Amino acid sequence: MTSAATNLRSVPLARRFLNFTWLTLGLAAAILVFEAFAQPSIVVTTLVTGGMWALMAAGLAMVFGVMNIPNFAHGELFLLGSFTAFTVYSPIREALLNDPSLTWLKILGPFPGMVVALVVGAIAGVLLEAVLFRPLRRRSREQWVMNTFLLTAGVSVVVINSYRLTIGNDFHGVPAYWDVPPISLFGVPISVDRAMVLVIALVTITLFALFLQRTGLGRAIRAVSQDETGAQMAGIDLNRIFILTMGISCALAALAGASLLFLFPAYPDVGLQPLYTAWFVVILAGLGNIPGAVIGAFIVALLQNLTIFYIQVGWVDVLPTVFIILILLFKPSGLFGSAVKGVWEQ
Amino acid sequence: MTNGRVLDVAHVEAGYDLLQVLWDVSLHVDEGEFVALLGPNGAGKTTTLRTIAGFLQPLDGDISFRGTPIGGRPAHTVSRMGLGYVSESLNLFPAMTVRENLQVGANSVRNKAQVASTMELVFQLFPRLLERRDQLAGTLSGGERKMLAIGRGLMASPSLLLVDEPSLGLAPMATVATFDALKALRERGVTILLVEQNVNTTLHLVDRAYVLEQGRIVLEGTGEDLLSNPHVQAAYLGI
Ligand SMILES: Nc1ncnc2c1ncn2[C@@H]1O[C@H](COP(=O)(O)OP(=O)(O)OP(=O)(O)O)[C@@H](O)[C@H]1O
Ligand SMILES: [Mg+2]
Repeated sequence: MTSAATNLRSVPLARRFLNFTWLTLGLAAAILVFEAFAQPSIVVTTLVTGGMWALMAAGLAMVFGVMNIPNFAHGELFLLGSFTAFTVYSPIREALLNDPSLTWLKILGPFPGMVVALVVGAIAGVLLEAVLFRPLRRRSREQWVMNTFLLTAGVSVVVINSYRLTIGNDFHGVPAYWDVPPISLFGVPISVDRAMVLVIALVTITLFALFLQRTGLGRAIRAVSQDETGAQMAGIDLNRIFILTMGISCALAALAGASLLFLFPAYPDVGLQPLYTAWFVVILAGLGNIPGAVIGAFIVALLQNLTIFYIQVGWVDVLPTVFIILILLFKPSGLFGSAVKGVWEQ
Repeated sequence: MTNGRVLDVAHVEAGYDLLQVLWDVSLHVDEGEFVALLGPNGAGKTTTLRTIAGFLQPLDGDISFRGTPIGGRPAHTVSRMGLGYVSESLNLFPAMTVRENLQVGANSVRNKAQVASTMELVFQLFPRLLERRDQLAGTLSGGERKMLAIGRGLMASPSLLLVDEPSLGLAPMATVATFDALKALRERGVTILLVEQNVNTTLHLVDRAYVLEQGRIVLEGTGEDLLSNPHVQAAYLGI
């Protein structure tokens, strides 16, 4: 083998692995491995919060990819989820305090609240599509992205203020879903609540991915995001897909709110930080890219937790944003973006 | 329906916003027929197909498919009734594999065995697609895309297939292959309404044809009739 031949072969390999996306992913993985030894709690917290940001961001990415709607009311679905979970869980907690021997109720714990939140979130999503987006779509699809941005930002303001007026500014939360000693994960003590959040996130994301990849409906959703006309030619009813997409996306956000009730009590603008974070994630990953959003969620969670641990909690939104801006300077379409170009140029 | 009329377009007027394109267009396709719609650029051929397929509302006139009025019905309903449409721009799903594109085409078919056997048929018709079944549609060549679009159109086993300019942008070899596939389809009993600019080849292939000029049907007849028609010879065949 001449060295020229070796060089020829090594060029594409180097290209493949020295590109920006792989460098970022490699760096994130390296930091995670390092922290697993140095500061394992960072890894655990990253997995827990990353899982929930993934639920938020995947729904946001899906709605943008399928419906071209930048949903700035996504955080209010988080709020809806946390308040619903609080409402359902409070009597359960009450009963448990009165009679700690109700083992079955103790095990059931937060799950009824989560299921109800999931359903309420889905209904809210369906209503948003049926009452707001569909009439707007029927009237005009000109300036659609801008119009729906304004519409959802308006919904967000209305929901936050209605909540403030009717329910008030108090924090409605729970100290913990399960009052049991922490378990140990890789030698790190982790509360059962957090472990549960991680499990819920992984199970939900897996089911969601399987749904999109393996089922006819999931394929139909992806088809609509790639070519609406083609989807209609294949007999797909766009209205049905939009309802479904909005329902699933909002259900996931509400589930995130319900699962994190012990960290984020329900209060009027509890949804803002999850909203911003989900947007960081989606912009970082590339607009509309669902698998990218899941990976991006863990990267953003890692950045946030590194910032909290090594610097100060006040910087938690600043540093990740700076990083994202830097990444976008190198890769304007986002880490995994390329398939979704053109949405803004339409 | 009784006389095997699959598609009946009667006095249709259609267009875009302020521009009316189709004027009193009437045409029909019977069971098992292979019919062509010919005409110069901008005549309104694509507009005619889009109106039939439900992507445009007719301003006036009636369209019926197997006896059921479909004018103005949404495109997905029309598709589900068994009217397949392969558009000029193909409208494939670029980030899905060839196989997934076909699966989406069979979206409305509940019977899994039927989907499998239709896919088999598509792969028989276009062996090239079988080779490329796991490739993303966005990375296919122009000819392969055409095949995939026709294949996807067949997946719901339509009883009428509208095909818009399948030879557009194809090299002569690929064009021949596409026409061969259409011929094979009609031999299997699929009723086809084809829009083409390749007038000579098309007229040799089809049972009947219509000529559309400036949004009006100006001629209609069998392939042979039109091949010997002086207007067709002068305007389209360069004789
Ligand atoms: N979306 C649209 N908006 C406005 N006018 C349109 C639109 N699409 C087509 N037209 C106009 O309608 C007329 C007929 O167009 P159409 O696409 O039906 O022609 P065609 O016969 O298919 O031509 P070609 O052979 O070039 O494909 C043209 O004058 C065209 O400019
Ligand atoms: Mg055309």
